[in-house]
Amino acid sequence: MAVDSLEGVFAPERITATADGIPTVGVPLAELLETIERVRGELGYSRFVDLTAVDRLRREERFELVYLFYSMTQKAWLRVKTATDGEAPSLTPSVAGANWYEREVFDLFGISFEGHPDLRRIMLPDAWQGHPLRRTEPLGSEPVDFTVTRRVYGND
Amino acid sequence: MATTEDRRELLTVNMGPQHPSTHGVLRLELKLDGEVVVNCRPIIGYLHTGIEKTFEAKTYVQGVVLTDRMDYLNPLGNNLAFALSVEKLCGCEIPGRATVLRVILAELTRLSSHLMFIGSMALDLGASSPFLYCFREREKILDFFEGISGARMMTSFIRPGGLAHNVEQAMADRISAFVEAMPGFIDTYEELLTGNPIFKERTEGIGMLTADDALALAVTGPTLRGSGVALDMRKTNPYCGYEAYDFEVPTGRVGDCFDRYLVRVAEMRESVKLIRQALDRLPGGPVQTSDRKVMPPPREELAKSMEAVIHHFKLWTEGIRPAPGEAYVGIESPRGEIGFYVVSDGSGRPIRVHERAPSFANLQALPRMTEGGLVADVVACIASIDPIMGEVDR
Repeated sequence: MAVDSLEGVFAPERITATADGIPTVGVPLAELLETIERVRGELGYSRFVDLTAVDRLRREERFELVYLFYSMTQKAWLRVKTATDGEAPSLTPSVAGANWYEREVFDLFGISFEGHPDLRRIMLPDAWQGHPLRRTEPLGSEPVDFTVTRRVYGND
Repeated sequence: MATTEDRRELLTVNMGPQHPSTHGVLRLELKLDGEVVVNCRPIIGYLHTGIEKTFEAKTYVQGVVLTDRMDYLNPLGNNLAFALSVEKLCGCEIPGRATVLRVILAELTRLSSHLMFIGSMALDLGASSPFLYCFREREKILDFFEGISGARMMTSFIRPGGLAHNVEQAMADRISAFVEAMPGFIDTYEELLTGNPIFKERTEGIGMLTADDALALAVTGPTLRGSGVALDMRKTNPYCGYEAYDFEVPTGRVGDCFDRYLVRVAEMRESVKLIRQALDRLPGGPVQTSDRKVMPPPREELAKSMEAVIHHFKLWTEGIRPAPGEAYVGIESPRGEIGFYVVSDGSGRPIRVHERAPSFANLQALPRMTEGGLVADVVACIASIDPIMGEVDR
């Protein structure tokens, strides 16, 4: 239902239908903030729900950022996607709820969000090396912190 | 830290990560001016175990086991959210009995989670007896889970394609007897807390969160409904046939800790109504989809059909192989909107699973609730959000 209503608003090649029926709008990185502003204002999908990333290793711009919004009047979700190779504009100045989500993506994928007020690691210790959700990071064991192998982590 | 203009000194206090009222390992960095909280900074990550990374190395059925561990007070709800996403990717139909049983199990989990909430909130505020009463009933629900799935908490019972196995009629009768008695128990908790002047003094007007703030901070669930926004995925975006049930979405009036408590108590009564209705309409039949690419064939078919043997072999060696694509199904957990964003590349393992964890977003609202209040009220605010660190840190 919602896919049709978007057809006049976005170019048809930018709209994809997914298995779950949530209309998905793909935009280049440069148009991201403008699109989100439109989606939240004009289209009414005002509630920020979720932000995450997918590492599409073989693509040129390997990270896919996936934003999810919800319209309180239409009672439906809308997904906005963009691709980046490591940098993206921050949504936090306009959507306070995106704060921790951007920090999480920064922490686990290493994507930095320009304009974020407090971009620090959120899950891992500050002194951590690497970004574990990248597909180049192997799933392996973490050395246990014994006195003999003591590695000093930064605070929080 | 003394400034030249006003000579007040701010004291920095670390509350947690090991603190009885932080419901796990939440650390708060509080800046205090005397007893008043000037600044509150939640610090999370102490329970980060890389669950989302682990998902990428597991098949879809193995992934179900990880979902229990995220929100350990809502194991069946998490199983359900993950199963719904995978089923969207596979496009399979779920039999009626499984759908109704899912509603019963999800609502029983909601009851057990809210019982934990009432008990621990009362305990955090110094009332120790409600905790014991709540755990008496919670134990009964956990006994049902044990009888149904074999595990009290980490059930892994709701799976992509239906349920692990059928639920006996005798168990349905026991659940039925329990929900008949439950409203009386809820009255007991309310007698102990709702009219209790000490409890009211500790929660009324404390931890105010306006509806606008809550929506801007991506808050969902009872924390949002306490602020008066009637957003409940069971009503707005029904799944498992919730549109066919008669229930209300309780909301609060002002958005303080007391409202969030009242919303959850009222929700328990609605859950009881839902379970009763579901038990009345519980149909017979199978509890697993007939799609052999998702659920294995029944045992007796294996002796007769070569096709069944092939399906069985393929399913247990490769697992479910959904079509390439992505799916998200947002459902209502006891804490808010939960959904699994699952991305498949057509192989037997997902390339990405992300949990939209309600506690993670709700916890962002904690500074808004606590700043300007007294340090003693921080405990009430945390309790009223009811965060589960397992799903915050994942």
